Amino acid sequence: MASKVSRDTLYEGVNGLLDASAKKKRGFLETVELQIGLKNYDPQKDKRFSGTVKLKHIPRPKMKVCILGDQQHCDEAKANNVDFMDAEALKKLNKNKKLVKKLAKSYDAFLASESLIKQIPRLLGPGLNKAGKFPALLSHQESMIGKIEEVKSTIKFQMKKVLCLSVAVGHVGMKSDELAQNVNLSINFLVSLLKKNWQNVRSLHVKSSMGPPQRLY
Amino acid sequence: MVRPNNNQLPENLPQLQNLIKRDPESYSDEFHIQYQHFLSLLEVFALNPSEENKSLDDIVMFVAQVAQCYPAVCEEFPKRLSDLLKNYATVLDPAMRNCFVKALILLRNKNLVPALDILELFFQLLRCPDKNLRTFLQTHIVTDIKNMNAKHKDMKLNSSLQAFMYSMLKDANPKAAKMSADIMIELYKKNIWNDSKTVNVIATVGCFSKVTKVLVTSLKFFLGHDEEDEEEDTDSENEVDLKGALMANRVNKKTKKRTKQLAQIKKQAVKAQKKKKNAPAFNFSGIHLVHNPQGMAEGLFKQLQATNERFEVKLMHLDVISRLIGIHDLFLFGFYPYITRFLQPHQRQVTRVLQFAAQASHELVPGDIIEPILKTIANNFITERNSSDVMAIGLNATREICMRCPLAMGEDLLQDLAMYKTYKEKSVMMAARSLITLYREQLPALLHKKDRGRQTEAQAERKVRAYGEREVHDTVLGAEALLKDSKTIDIESEDDTDSNDGEWVNVAHSDGEGGGDDDDEEEDEDEDDDEDEDEENSDDEEDGEGDNSDEGVESGEESAKAKKEKKDMKILNQKEAAQELALTRIFTDEDFKRINAANLKKTVTSARKRPLEQDRAEFVKLNSIEMIYKKRKHDKESRLETVQAGRQDRERFGWKDGRVNEHCSKTNREKRKTKNFGMLRHKARSKVKKSFKDKQQALRKHLLHQKKMK
Repeated sequence: MASKVSRDTLYEGVNGLLDASAKKKRGFLETVELQIGLKNYDPQKDKRFSGTVKLKHIPRPKMKVCILGDQQHCDEAKANNVDFMDAEALKKLNKNKKLVKKLAKSYDAFLASESLIKQIPRLLGPGLNKAGKFPALLSHQESMIGKIEEVKSTIKFQMKKVLCLSVAVGHVGMKSDELAQNVNLSINFLVSLLKKNWQNVRSLHVKSSMGPPQRLY
Repeated sequence: MVRPNNNQLPENLPQLQNLIKRDPESYSDEFHIQYQHFLSLLEVFALNPSEENKSLDDIVMFVAQVAQCYPAVCEEFPKRLSDLLKNYATVLDPAMRNCFVKALILLRNKNLVPALDILELFFQLLRCPDKNLRTFLQTHIVTDIKNMNAKHKDMKLNSSLQAFMYSMLKDANPKAAKMSADIMIELYKKNIWNDSKTVNVIATVGCFSKVTKVLVTSLKFFLGHDEEDEEEDTDSENEVDLKGALMANRVNKKTKKRTKQLAQIKKQAVKAQKKKKNAPAFNFSGIHLVHNPQGMAEGLFKQLQATNERFEVKLMHLDVISRLIGIHDLFLFGFYPYITRFLQPHQRQVTRVLQFAAQASHELVPGDIIEPILKTIANNFITERNSSDVMAIGLNATREICMRCPLAMGEDLLQDLAMYKTYKEKSVMMAARSLITLYREQLPALLHKKDRGRQTEAQAERKVRAYGEREVHDTVLGAEALLKDSKTIDIESEDDTDSNDGEWVNVAHSDGEGGGDDDDEEEDEDEDDDEDEDEENSDDEEDGEGDNSDEGVESGEESAKAKKEKKDMKILNQKEAAQELALTRIFTDEDFKRINAANLKKTVTSARKRPLEQDRAEFVKLNSIEMIYKKRKHDKESRLETVQAGRQDRERFGWKDGRVNEHCSKTNREKRKTKNFGMLRHKARSKVKKSFKDKQQALRKHLLHQKKMK
């Protein structure tokens, strides 16, 4: 059986998208997102799926990450020129909802060291979790930069209340090969999450922020 | 006396109504007379509104029926009625009030009155102490809003109606508030007002109402299940069998009726298909649509602590809060100590409290917050001074909590609980074992070494997640399964027409040529995978196996450590290759089938028992806590049931006579067998012959007797 999206259509879509964005430059780096329509899925009865996958190329290079670390991690962060906060700084927020919200808003993701992560619900209250930015774990064995890269290149598929979802898989500054690889991996991963795999997919589109959508399937 | 022209119209309202509907213009004079009559009657009625007035009743209905024919004349009519109802709502006679309401509804159905005005009036009418009226009004309001939304949704109208409902929910009058909540919930369930706005009003206003009834209905709304599942199933059964009908039409005699029927069926089939195509409207359990779950949970918890309501209401509060926490991953740390207070075996409804504890635990709650709950359960429930049922329930609850928050369990506690795996009561033993199986999957390191069991491949692959760690995949899980012919697939993607046969030639080729370690070892691994491949490759496989056996001898000489390292390396390579594969091509359904099969196999290989069920439901089922395994002795009824079930398809047991016609009568001999013995005794005796001795005696007696006679 031939694959549902042939190599040609994929490249056609990706190239079309890159051409369209090259023709009309925008004032910012356009993001490329993959939009998925599902079918034969009852979000009420069927299990809602969610999964995270690490892409090969970083889709959103401008993501801001903040380290909530112990002494060692803070020093490392300082050396690497990454924003950081230590336990004292967090205590100063004093569970103040507005301050926590501000903190959550000003970063795209957080990383916390092992010793600190357990206290975070106590220190910050529900604010970070509410924003869906509960910190990820940063252990001393891993390199900080590597972990930050990993966080940046990680995307999450989660079906919520509606039968469509979209994820950022790249940006228009990427080469078509890189983009195609990311799209490939994310489609494969998504379809593997579905109960009946391809039978649950209604449509697939790739689209840059301001460009026209390109239908893949 | 005979009237001129035999005109009885002024008295006979139904007939007049009929005539007017047919030809409004020619009867306008009659209508005017009647309308004037109505006005005068109304004035009279207004003087004494508590009295019943039959003629007004009739004429109101009449005017309401024909109002659409004379819109200009009747402009004032609805207003007069509503004024009457407004002013004398509680004073009116119930029958009269009912009549006016019905007339207004009639007018509303003809769209002669705006919906909002009438809604306001009806909510005022709720103050009347008349239950029939209230239920009548409620059904009317629901159907009215439903009809309004049947064809298309008028957002403006809806939002104004909704705003009115929301204001009513806050109303001081408990009946009005209750009804508004009921109506909103019903409309939500009917998929008419199923937007998040409604849900959030119920969440923010209804759940914090001062009126207990409103509070309870709102809480129940968040606990409710959708019972529409069954209906859907019946729908699918009623599907139109178009094929069958077409076939029948081809074979059967052609008549007009049948062609008509066929057309009907075709229409229905198209309709059904359209229905399927249309995006289904989803009726979420309201909990998912709440905008501010954290705030709601906190507010409810505060209310719960302050409340003096009955225990059932408190339980409802606990249930809603625990669901909110579980579904939205909230932090509400005060909840856990609160619920711990209720964890006593003699507490009423303790299984439900345990259920809430399990529902409220999720992965992001730090372990040290849930641990006290586990400790309390262990201390209060799982001790040998309690009955075995209590212990089993405690263990089950512990399992349910740990399923959601595995990090809460301490090593010592788990090992203590695991000791119950050999307890003499079966229920306790089973519960303890289920806990062990859970931890084998989640955190085998916590278990005692001999409890860990043999790991399956899937378990070995699974990484233990520390608190806050997320599972991030590099590639599609189990994509390694596609690897063994990855090279060929690359070729395939270039020219899709390559047949299965060709691929295998390729592999064999590379095998024969290099005989390299890598390929061969891969073969080794995949040996059992290959079993299900086509026979075509059987000869290739033989070659491969031959190589393998050689390899086996060689590898036997190598040290085990080196082997392991090599294996690790290879797995790493495989992972990378699999990722590469996922990057370069899009998997087909076939590929996914293979991946799934491989994943399934991983859970089965080297496992002694069936794998643990992975699916985590949103809510904890009460059944899973209350399920205490205990095989009861059959009581008589159930025994008889099984006996009857076994008897159903077998022939009558016992002796069968060889009669040809089973309905024919019995012979006398046969009948005698069933007769009462008393009746047959003499006959039976007669057959018995005298013994020799008796005969002798009788003869002697007889002879003596004869001698004496002489």
